[in-house]
Amino acid sequence: MTFELSSNTQAILLLTAPLMAGRGKPSVKPLAAGEYRRLARRLREQQRQPADLLEPGAREIVSGCRVELDSERLAQLLGRGFLLAQAVERWRTRAIWVLSRADADYPRRLKQRLGEDAPPVLYGCGDAAIPGTGGLAVVGSRNVHEALIQYTEDVGRLAASAGRSLVSGGARGVDRAAMRGALDAGGRVAGVLADGLEKAAMLREHREALMERRLVLISPYDPAARFQVGHAMQRNKLIYALSDAALVVNSDYGKGGTWAGAVEQLGKLKLVPIHVRANGEVGKGLQGLLERGAKPWPEPETPEALEEILDAAADEGPGALGRQGLRPLFEQRD
Amino acid sequence: MTYDPRRALELLREGTRRRDTGFREGQEEAIRHVVEARGRLLVVQRTGWGKSFVYFIATRLLREAGAGPALLISPLLSLMRNQIAAAERMGIRAIRITSDNQDRWQDAEACLRRDEADILLISPERLGNDRFRTEVLAEVAERISLLVIDEAHCISDWGHDFRPHYRLIERIARTLPANLRLLATTATANDRVMGDLAAVLGPNLEVLRGGLGRPSLMLQTIRLPRQSQRLAWLAEQLPALPGHGIIYTLTVRDAVQVAEWLRSRELPVESYTGQTGDGREALEQLLLDNRVKALVATTALGMGFDKPDLGFVIHYQAPGSVVAYYQQVGRAGRALDRAYGVLLSGEEETDITDYFIAGAFPTRGEVRQVIDALDAAPDGLSIPNLLGRVNLSSGRIEKTMALLSLESPAPIAKQGTKWQLTAADLSSGFWERAERLTDLRHEEQRQMQEYVMLESGHMEFLIRALDGDPETVRPPNLPPLPTEVEPGLLQEAVTFLRRTGLPIKPRERWPAGGLPRCDVRGSISSEHRAEAGKALCIWGDAGWGGLVRRGKYRDGRFADDLVRACAALMAQWTPRPAPEWVTCIPSRRRPSLVPDFAERLATEMGLPFHRSLSKVEDRAEQKSMANSVQQARNVDGSLAVSQEPLPGGPVLLVDDMVDSRWTLTVAAWLLRSKGSGAVWPLALALTGHD
Repeated sequence: MTFELSSNTQAILLLTAPLMAGRGKPSVKPLAAGEYRRLARRLREQQRQPADLLEPGAREIVSGCRVELDSERLAQLLGRGFLLAQAVERWRTRAIWVLSRADADYPRRLKQRLGEDAPPVLYGCGDAAIPGTGGLAVVGSRNVHEALIQYTEDVGRLAASAGRSLVSGGARGVDRAAMRGALDAGGRVAGVLADGLEKAAMLREHREALMERRLVLISPYDPAARFQVGHAMQRNKLIYALSDAALVVNSDYGKGGTWAGAVEQLGKLKLVPIHVRANGEVGKGLQGLLERGAKPWPEPETPEALEEILDAAADEGPGALGRQGLRPLFEQRD
Repeated sequence: MTYDPRRALELLREGTRRRDTGFREGQEEAIRHVVEARGRLLVVQRTGWGKSFVYFIATRLLREAGAGPALLISPLLSLMRNQIAAAERMGIRAIRITSDNQDRWQDAEACLRRDEADILLISPERLGNDRFRTEVLAEVAERISLLVIDEAHCISDWGHDFRPHYRLIERIARTLPANLRLLATTATANDRVMGDLAAVLGPNLEVLRGGLGRPSLMLQTIRLPRQSQRLAWLAEQLPALPGHGIIYTLTVRDAVQVAEWLRSRELPVESYTGQTGDGREALEQLLLDNRVKALVATTALGMGFDKPDLGFVIHYQAPGSVVAYYQQVGRAGRALDRAYGVLLSGEEETDITDYFIAGAFPTRGEVRQVIDALDAAPDGLSIPNLLGRVNLSSGRIEKTMALLSLESPAPIAKQGTKWQLTAADLSSGFWERAERLTDLRHEEQRQMQEYVMLESGHMEFLIRALDGDPETVRPPNLPPLPTEVEPGLLQEAVTFLRRTGLPIKPRERWPAGGLPRCDVRGSISSEHRAEAGKALCIWGDAGWGGLVRRGKYRDGRFADDLVRACAALMAQWTPRPAPEWVTCIPSRRRPSLVPDFAERLATEMGLPFHRSLSKVEDRAEQKSMANSVQQARNVDGSLAVSQEPLPGGPVLLVDDMVDSRWTLTVAAWLLRSKGSGAVWPLALALTGHD
């Protein structure tokens, strides 16, 4: 994995990333997703790319964009070059890389499925090729009974023996059980984190798998970011987008991140087929998801059976079907 | 940002305190380049050209236009006092952070938060310090408008001085976006260094490079193998040299010793080393004011020291490279028509530079020990933890940690106070680079020896070695200095080198965790401690050191001269209460070496000798234990009192070599516990580390 940054990635980080390199309070707010989206669109219309904002004529380009963004704020954001170098160095010493949508290694799936909603930058540790391999997404809550932990670990193991990647959220409970099951069985795992990438990258239990290139930890949020409910929600979207099919192991009814994320998939996004656990007590949450169109999980018991489910889901085409019209904002130029 | 030439000139005049002065060639162009953000700039100009005016004036102009503060990274901040004084005359508020002093950090942080600093000056090591970065630098990082990298040649592997933290600076320079102003400065950069800098700082790097010739210098090399010869030469020649100057030595010990010798000859000199501490500024001032004939200095007296009328630079030993030599000798005669640059070459210099070369990188074994220890500790280890687990000195551990953590990606990282393994292996590139640099250092050493052998054409040789323009440099009209040494002085120098009596400070506390076999911990009560002892010499030094080494490793017996020297030392020392009997540290490896010597010494002093201590267990030699904790544990339970009752009264405790002092400490504790009087340690030689 290379840790060098392209000029476009530098510019995108300067514009959108909090660049948390210490305890200093940022004096200027990075562009929110919507703000950056508008700026990026205007740049594209002018046949420009973010890297051009690092060149001497940046101010003219910005005013040519006619976005309703304070030009002083943009100048301040773009002037954070030294901070950027500090932040990148901090990530690099922890073996954390960063990719922007302008980079060739940025997971294509995210751009194809999420279009403009794909995060402008992705931080990660481990093999950056894993997020491109699809596989089974497993989601569920933090607080679950031991029996469900067992069940989830078994699902992870099955994905591993089928040679398929497992995508999950890295949170306590279901997420980690799924990842643990897959990793222990020698499988490949993508953990999509809502916070704390920096700490997770240094955890000893992850080290072996990271170094054997079987685990990647990625996050659209600054590696030093702390937990925020909104982040966890956004993160769920990425878990689905990176998979071929998803299994919801359990869920509250009408509340919580698991519920909201799954409902969003079933209703609005339709990126991948959503399944809910069929074995054992399913409870009100999973029942509710079934009523909203989720399929019962066929509970495959052999690797072949799981492969069949995932292949069928992949053939069905990603739910991105309905969103193919969206172009990614920037393809790498050089 | 537009450049205001009138304001720039005004600032120059305020800074120099000269109302009619103008810019040197290239200075104004460089300032304009920086202020207008025309791209990255590299300035290669000799010391004294005025590089600091470029960045200070640029900083002031940027600040006046509302930009954020500048950040300057230099390994030589402690030597920039004159430049900083000039900056302050221009109204620049500079914050300089050179030490680990946390109080300063808080002040600095507060100043930065209130935007009251125009330029922050830090060392590369500070930049590598996680706490400094997160607590101080983070306050200002997003507003830095100009980054100045001093001594930029260190970015290159081909740079003559290796400073590990420049790897970090290199990465930061590579990561900086094109819109951040970057100025790199150095006094010397050969073609290979320039190539590396262009690669790191980018293809659009603008270079401003001055000439190298120094017509006022009379260069000469004199080979005087023995230290006594060089001491005698210095004592004879120094009074006759013009003006005031610097004598460079390779080691701190030599700087102190040469200064002591010259002072004993009533020559006004002072030693100046990295261990001089806070006194350094005052010593520099003594030389600036011509109140000493010379400072005897290590390279701690470095590039930033600017005394334009320095009359001479003498080297007591040849440094490791021609570039280092050129920079040091180039301090002489900047504003004079003539000055001496004399290199005395001695037999020990290659050993010393070899030692520096060998110590620059950790060995594979050292890295393995550290990584294994961290691997066995998932929650990480602090440096004190590591000292108890790996057999490496604290200096080697810290060097190993620093170099590994500067790799990218790094195999280890510090979380709080503890080091942890990261999800990255140490790349093979680390070792390739270590080997490449080690080869390069040996090549430089060889080139330096070539210079030592020169009969003529010294300046041309140096300029050619630096890829400068080998224009015909005519040396000034100065007679070469004599190369002979006066025999009487030589004899006195030999005697001086053999003068003796180095203190051995008693240990007052058991090591962290105590000694389980002896069942002791905490502080050592004064009734169980050794008294302050003495050592005859330092292992391998130019006085008695050679004879001690020969006795131990060649003859198996210490010479009678050493017995007489120790007796003389005792007569001079006269510890009270005076020892009434003599004993010694036992050894299974060389059972008779030390007892034989101690017995002869006892006879010479007319005291009884008793073999009161015995070794009850074989242990590894203390010198194979690399740090104090390991050494203390290695002694624990290995000694016993074999004679009871002990003779009463104070005792002289003899050993050949003292390293960590743990053997002496445990022996004294045993003797005192079993009823002896005060224990006075006496050793033939002190060895290296603590």
